[in-house]
Amino acid sequence: MTASAPATHRARPASSVTGTGSLLRVSLRAEIRSLAPWMVVPTILTLTSVLGFELLGRTEQERQALNQTIAGNPALGLIFGPAGDVSTLDGFNAWRGLAIGGFVVALGAILVVVKATRAQEDSGQAEFLAAGVMGRNARLLTALAMCGIMSLVAGVLSGVITALFGVGWGSSLLLGAGFTATGWLFGALAGATSQLAGDARSASSAAIGALGVLFILRGFFYAVDVPGWLIWINPLCWVQETHPADGGRWWPLALVLGLAVVLAAGAFALQSARDFGQGIFATPPGPDRGRVHSPLGLMVRLNRAPLIYWGLAFVGLGVVFGYFIQSVREILEGNPAMTEIFARGAASPEAMSATFVATIASLVGIIVSIPGVQTVNRIRTEELEDHAEPVLAGAVTRSRYFGAGMLVALGAPVLYVLIAGSVMGLFGMSAGIGLSFADVLLQTLAVLPAVWAVIGVAAFIVGVVPVARVASWLGVVGSLALTLLGPSLKLPNWLLGFSPFYHVPPVALDDPDLWGLLWVGVIAVGLVVGGFAGFRRRDIP
Amino acid sequence: MSDRLAIDVEGLDKYFGKFQALNGVNLQVPRGQVHGFLGPNGAGKSTTIRVLLGLLHADAGRVRLLGGAPWRDVVELHRRLAYVPGDVSLWPSMTGGEAIDLLGSLRGGLDETRRADLVERFELDTTKRGRQYSKGNRQKVAIVAALASNVDLLILDEPTSGLDPLMEQVFQDAVAEAVARGTGVLLSSHIMSEVEALADRVSIIRDGTIVETGTLAEIRGHARNTVHVTLENVDGLESVPVLHDLEVSGSQVHATVDGDHIGEAVAALTQRGISALTIEPPSLESLFLRLYDDEPEEQQEAANGPKAGNR
Repeated sequence: MTASAPATHRARPASSVTGTGSLLRVSLRAEIRSLAPWMVVPTILTLTSVLGFELLGRTEQERQALNQTIAGNPALGLIFGPAGDVSTLDGFNAWRGLAIGGFVVALGAILVVVKATRAQEDSGQAEFLAAGVMGRNARLLTALAMCGIMSLVAGVLSGVITALFGVGWGSSLLLGAGFTATGWLFGALAGATSQLAGDARSASSAAIGALGVLFILRGFFYAVDVPGWLIWINPLCWVQETHPADGGRWWPLALVLGLAVVLAAGAFALQSARDFGQGIFATPPGPDRGRVHSPLGLMVRLNRAPLIYWGLAFVGLGVVFGYFIQSVREILEGNPAMTEIFARGAASPEAMSATFVATIASLVGIIVSIPGVQTVNRIRTEELEDHAEPVLAGAVTRSRYFGAGMLVALGAPVLYVLIAGSVMGLFGMSAGIGLSFADVLLQTLAVLPAVWAVIGVAAFIVGVVPVARVASWLGVVGSLALTLLGPSLKLPNWLLGFSPFYHVPPVALDDPDLWGLLWVGVIAVGLVVGGFAGFRRRDIP
Repeated sequence: MSDRLAIDVEGLDKYFGKFQALNGVNLQVPRGQVHGFLGPNGAGKSTTIRVLLGLLHADAGRVRLLGGAPWRDVVELHRRLAYVPGDVSLWPSMTGGEAIDLLGSLRGGLDETRRADLVERFELDTTKRGRQYSKGNRQKVAIVAALASNVDLLILDEPTSGLDPLMEQVFQDAVAEAVARGTGVLLSSHIMSEVEALADRVSIIRDGTIVETGTLAEIRGHARNTVHVTLENVDGLESVPVLHDLEVSGSQVHATVDGDHIGEAVAALTQRGISALTIEPPSLESLFLRLYDDEPEEQQEAANGPKAGNR
């Protein structure tokens, strides 16, 4: 404490969290765009519950039908959790939002925390900060604070806005509080995995993996009625146990918060035990020699993880949609809104089943086209990240490079459709609705030309006008909107016809009209060929 | 006839929207030679190289590479050349070894012995993932992949950015060995010593135009020598026409002199009684600095001089 020391440097005693305030302000400003979706999506989710309930449960009879359908469909329970009483708006909203909304906020929390901790260290950004006037724990504290604020805003926004639209205040706010608590818990978990893992990617994979496993276990526990104590080993079940629309208990959230605090404390302890840029566990060395020797091999390798995840997802979707097909009668009987969407214009019960399966197959098709469009966009990402340049500097033509990407983009959907179609076929053949395994599988395969047309739109955009890359999702978004909303908005047929899935006929009927599908196939080929021509001609950035 | 040349570019124009990146670029590189390609950031070095690689479409001009057309004959040409970009971006989850093998096989295979030798000399850990490498190590991955290939032409775009001086030396040795095997090299670089050590001829590009081409000796001939001299009598030096950039402080005089006027200058100085004299030959660095000096007058000189010299 010499008198000659400059006063300004002595003004505040330095601690391990010095600098957190200013870092938090800067980070929030820089990251607001990437935080926004996670804060808004839960509100969209709960608001659409209100809209959906208006649409599906207009009369008391419809509500009872809805209640029976949902309660009687174990596949829905696996994802959304136990139904409770969904014949009320509060109950419907809580059932639909609780698990999914919590999942979304938790996912956002994990990504935010990993990005602000390990990802920054991997990119070298954190070195700048660490070299500044910054306490040892400031960056981790900032990351957790950012995640805390994001989760809080997500929960409050959803709770308040949804209550303003007619859901009870008590249940809506408790539901929102559940979102917030789930976000805090998984943000703290990501804080801990960020200290353990060798790099950012492994850190987020570990946390997201834990979230996924706990999510599936939660659905499974409630679906099979496990002993009561087992419920209490899964933190996601604690949130479920708040029963927002059904009595409403706040205390289970205290357990969630307690665990979050323990995990956060663990994260700080682990951080002080590791070196900057190194995890507690190092990344193991990889292979010295490569086995990828061609553009196609490279494209498969780059899409390997998504190929596996989507393959598994389509087993799950097959189960969910399979249950739907099994309960086609209960779903459609007495619910004209559902019938309008899923089996429009069907006269006989057989025709109704066939049309219903065709619509379900189209939904599967629209979902299948999402990874397809992702793969096409990957071609563009490779260019933008300068990965395409060294490959194209090898003895590889543009067509071969683009073709390798397109082969994966168009070929993987065949696998996905076979997976989902087979699972759905197993459910369909045992449903006693006049459909065989082959009927369902063929129906699912029949959507492929439409899937390829949607992916063709993306191929055309990426090949010809890559600056308009967002437009590559036009096919997916348009098809989804026209298939799900079109019938209930009573749109004219020519407009519905813009969705390639509109032209998929129920193939189980006698003499299905395949001409429309043929044209869709021709358009798909044309779009892909146009994409090739564009990619061959344009500059690679 | 053009088969004598590995690279033969004439009147190359390239536009990005309205911006003209290349304006009538001429570049001739004979086979088996090392050609230095110098220029500041944004001058058009990488754009020229990307046209040579067939990644960008030329808007005007003639571009021949190893006797073929880079946009059309991609596969045949790229089997015979290897490329190292200035900022290597590796696939994050692929190891360096995997990337070397992939890039090698896309080109038609690697020389296994040379691959092993280069990995050892560059002290590269090939089992690390792309995202774990530092900038310099990413460069090494691309350099090993390129130099382990059997090719006729190496196109190197600032290949050593991020390498330490030790590795810089390993790189120069390895390129010299490639040249001894008969490989031609286009070496774009910022590092003058690297170009001086390796290059037979040099082209300098500025604002999308080649402003100077020739052997190092020729280019030195265009540049001025620096003269430091102590004189007994400094009067009337301003009137000696061959002395440029004259600075006089007491009896100390500093000036620059064109290479072919040194005799005249020394004669003029001798009359004033020399007590100490040093004449420094121009380094590539000083030439480079002169060419890129932002004063418009200098620019004018730089643009006019070499063109006259070339014809």
